[in-house]
Amino acid sequence: MKSSLFEDSRDVFLDVVNTKDYIELDRMSSIYDSLLDSIKKPLKMILLYGKPGTGKSMFLSKLHQSLSQNQKAYLYNTPILDESEFFKSIAQDLYDMSYSGELNFTQFIKVVENKDIDGTFMPVILLDEAQLYSTSLMEKIRLLSDTRKVKFVIALHKTEKEDIIAKEHFQTRIWESIQLANSSKSELKIYIQKKLLKANCFDTASMFTQKSVNLIHKLTDGNYRDTNKLLYTMFDIYTYYTENNPNKINKIQISNKLVEMAAIHTGLIDA
Amino acid sequence: MLNIKDLEARHTKYKIKSYIPYIITLIVLIIILVASNEIFNSNLSKTSKNVSQKEIELNTTKKKVKILKVEIAKPITETIQQIENKKVILSPSMDFMRRVNTPVEIYTKNDKKINISKKVKVKQKKHIKEEIITQEVINIDLVKEKIEQDNKETLKIRKKSSLKIEINQDQKDIKHVIKRFKVNNNPALSLFVAKKYYQLGDYHKSYNYALITNQLNNNIEASWIIFSKSLVKLDKKEMAVKTLKRYIDSSHSPRAKILLDEIQSGKFK
Repeated sequence: MKSSLFEDSRDVFLDVVNTKDYIELDRMSSIYDSLLDSIKKPLKMILLYGKPGTGKSMFLSKLHQSLSQNQKAYLYNTPILDESEFFKSIAQDLYDMSYSGELNFTQFIKVVENKDIDGTFMPVILLDEAQLYSTSLMEKIRLLSDTRKVKFVIALHKTEKEDIIAKEHFQTRIWESIQLANSSKSELKIYIQKKLLKANCFDTASMFTQKSVNLIHKLTDGNYRDTNKLLYTMFDIYTYYTENNPNKINKIQISNKLVEMAAIHTGLIDA
Repeated sequence: MLNIKDLEARHTKYKIKSYIPYIITLIVLIIILVASNEIFNSNLSKTSKNVSQKEIELNTTKKKVKILKVEIAKPITETIQQIENKKVILSPSMDFMRRVNTPVEIYTKNDKKINISKKVKVKQKKHIKEEIITQEVINIDLVKEKIEQDNKETLKIRKKSSLKIEINQDQKDIKHVIKRFKVNNNPALSLFVAKKYYQLGDYHKSYNYALITNQLNNNIEASWIIFSKSLVKLDKKEMAVKTLKRYIDSSHSPRAKILLDEIQSGKFK
C-alpha cells in the first residue's frame, strides 16, 4: 500500500461542498425526494434546518444542481447582508436587470410584481446560512415570497434564533420545514465507504470495520463535518506513519489508536 | 503539520485517563471481594468458634455433671454413712437414755438431791445428744449448700433426688426415733422429732412433739422455742408470744427473749 493512497483517502474528506462528492444515502434520498415534491407544490417558502455539519449546504447544492436543469434556480451560499446588494443580485439573476445605484425593497418589489413567470415553474432562490440575515431582510424576503413570483428555500442552523425566524416570519405563511439530522452508525459506514470508493480508494474503504465506524460515530455523533475532519486527520497520520514508521500501522484495518489520535488533534477528544 | 510525537504523548495520557475508571472499579471490586471474603471467613471462624465453644461448654457441663454426680453422690453417701456412723454414735446415747430412764423410774419426789444431780446428768446427756443431732442437721445443710452451688439444670434433677434421699432419710430417722420414743418416752427423742418435723416444715407435728416434750419436761428450752416457732408458723403468733413470755418469766432464757423479740418485731415469720 502506497502512502499516496492514504493521501488520496485523506483528500476525499476535505471539508468542501461539492455536488460531485454528494453521497446518496437512503434517508437523505427520501428527504431529497420530499423536498423536490415540496418545490413543485404551490408553497411560498421551504425551510431546511439542522445542526451544523448535517449536510444542509451539500443538500442545497445538490438541489440547486437538480433544479437548474429544468427551471431558474439560484443558490446563495454566502449571505448578502446588504439589502440593496441582495435585491440587486436577485434582480440580476432573475431578470437580468443590473443596477448601478441603490435598489431599495420598494423599487425591487415593484419590478417583481410587474414581471411574469417565465415558463411553467416559479424561479427558486436557495439561501444558505439564512440565520445570518437580519430580521428586517427576512421580513422583506417573506413579502417577496407573498408575490408568488419567486420561491425561497432557506437553509439555517437549528438555533434559538432560527426558531424566532420561523415564528416571526413563517408562522402565517404556507411553508414546509425539513429537518436534517446526523447519520446513524450504518449510514456513517455507507457514507465513509461510498466516499472512498467514489475516489477509487478501495483498499482504505475495506479497512473500515463496523467496530472502527462505531468508534468514529461515538466521537463525531454521526456528524458529517466532524467525520470529514476526523478522517482527514486520521489519513494524514496514516500518511505520516507510512512515510516515517510503517511498522507502527496496521494496514488491514483502521487502528483505533490512530482514530483517537486524530480525535485528539481535531479536539473531539479533550486530552 | 501534525506533531505526531506530541499526539502520541497526548494519546498515552488519554488512554491512561480512560483506564482510570476501570482501574478504580477493579480496585473497588477487589476490595469488596477481599472484604466480603474476610467477613465471610470471620463469620465462619465465629460460627466455628461458637460451635467449638458450645462443644467445650457442653463438655464442661458434661464434666460438671459428672463431677456433680460424684460430688453429690459422695456427700450423700458420706452423709448417709456419717448419719449411720452417728447412729452408731447415737446408739450409746440410747444406752445412756436407758440408764437415764431407769433413774427416772426410780425417781421420788422426796429424793430431791439425787433428782437434781440426775437431772443435771440428764441435761448434760441431752446436750450431747442435741449436739449430735445438730451436727447431723448441719451435715445435711452442708449437703444442701453444695447442691445449691452446682449447675442449676443438673441441680434440678440432682437436688430433687438428693432432697428425696434426705427427706426419705429424715423420715426414716424420725420413724426410727418415734419408735424408740414410744418405747421409753424420752423427751430428748420427742424434742429431736419436733426439731426434725420443724425442719421439714411439718409444723403441726413439730408443735405436737414440742408439746409432748414440754409435758414430759417443761424445763427444756429448745422444746419451748420449737413450740413457739411452730405456733408462729401455724399463724398463732399471739399464742406463741404468750407462751414465750410465760417461759421467760419462769426461766429468763436469753434465747427465748431473742426469739420473742424477733417474733414481735416481725423478723421471724
